[in-house]
Amino acid sequence: MKNVKVWDPLIRIFHWSLVICFISNALITDPESQLHRQIGYVVVGLVAFRIIWGFVGSRHARFRDFPPSISGSVGQLSDMATGRKRIHVGHTPLGALMIYNLIVTLIGIAITGYIMTTLRFWGIEWVKELHEICVTWAEFSVVAHIAAVVWESRRTGVNLPKAMVTGSKTLPTEV
Amino acid sequence: MSSKTKPDKTTIGLLALIVTQSACSVFFLSDAVADIIADGMAALNDVHLHVEMVATLSLIVAVILEGRFLVRLLRRNAHAERGLSIASGALHDLMEQYFHEWGLTPSEADVATFAIKGLDIAEIAEVRGTAEGTVKAHLNAIYRKSGTSGRGALLGLLVDDLLAQPLIERKEPPKDVPKASGLA
Repeated sequence: MKNVKVWDPLIRIFHWSLVICFISNALITDPESQLHRQIGYVVVGLVAFRIIWGFVGSRHARFRDFPPSISGSVGQLSDMATGRKRIHVGHTPLGALMIYNLIVTLIGIAITGYIMTTLRFWGIEWVKELHEICVTWAEFSVVAHIAAVVWESRRTGVNLPKAMVTGSKTLPTEV
Repeated sequence: MSSKTKPDKTTIGLLALIVTQSACSVFFLSDAVADIIADGMAALNDVHLHVEMVATLSLIVAVILEGRFLVRLLRRNAHAERGLSIASGALHDLMEQYFHEWGLTPSEADVATFAIKGLDIAEIAEVRGTAEGTVKAHLNAIYRKSGTSGRGALLGLLVDDLLAQPLIERKEPPKDVPKASGLA
């Protein structure tokens, strides 16, 4: 076993702040309230930070470290199907797709949420509908994300939730 | 390694189909759930909602079946693309059928395929990215579950089966194999 630093402190603060904001706005706050909007702005700030950090951040935080890759994703699925354990230090290829999916979906929620508050789009049905579809997709994605993290932690024997708290992955030395 | 080779069009197409249909399922299911929440008990008498639910569930079942088919496809490609030339799909199907009967885990089936192809323990460990000890443990489980004494006996079992019947009749079983263990 060896410990490898993977996630820098800012990435971890970003992740857990986003968790709190998402839970708040998806389940707790009143969608019509000022608080719901303010939390929405915080999410926009967090996502903006994440995108900037994707270019200038630490090694595994950079988009270059996890480019969207179909062949990589199929490779990871093949590993799952055949029980092979290939350890990825940073994001796995499928994990990377989830990150991009969540970033795009959150931007969609933010844009539709914001224009609902503008005079021009206020009360227009398709904007509200689109906002809700994006939210439903985000909720599904979050559930899939959690399920995948649990599944991959068990499959590879690397505790991924712990890594997002402490910043280090404990990898088996034999690989 | 498998992640470096280009995935074939069938795999990508199937993946795209699964992703699209999953997204549709999420949309339909959330829509139906929203209706049930809005209408409460009255929703139970709504025939339209019943039809909607049946359609949605059918879609989900289709996604699951496609997923199982994808797993089989990925396994086959994972063995064929190594240049190990499992050659005919028939032999691969026969092996898969045995592995299924013996109740091998995906890892054990993977190791068994490589063992039959003649890779030694160190090579299998390298291909799978695991320790040699792990491969040995898998091999022991394979021999125990198949009731064979070792690699030679395991191979003998397959060869016996291939030679037991005339080649013309041999065309039959492989046809049925994918249906039996795959989409059933």
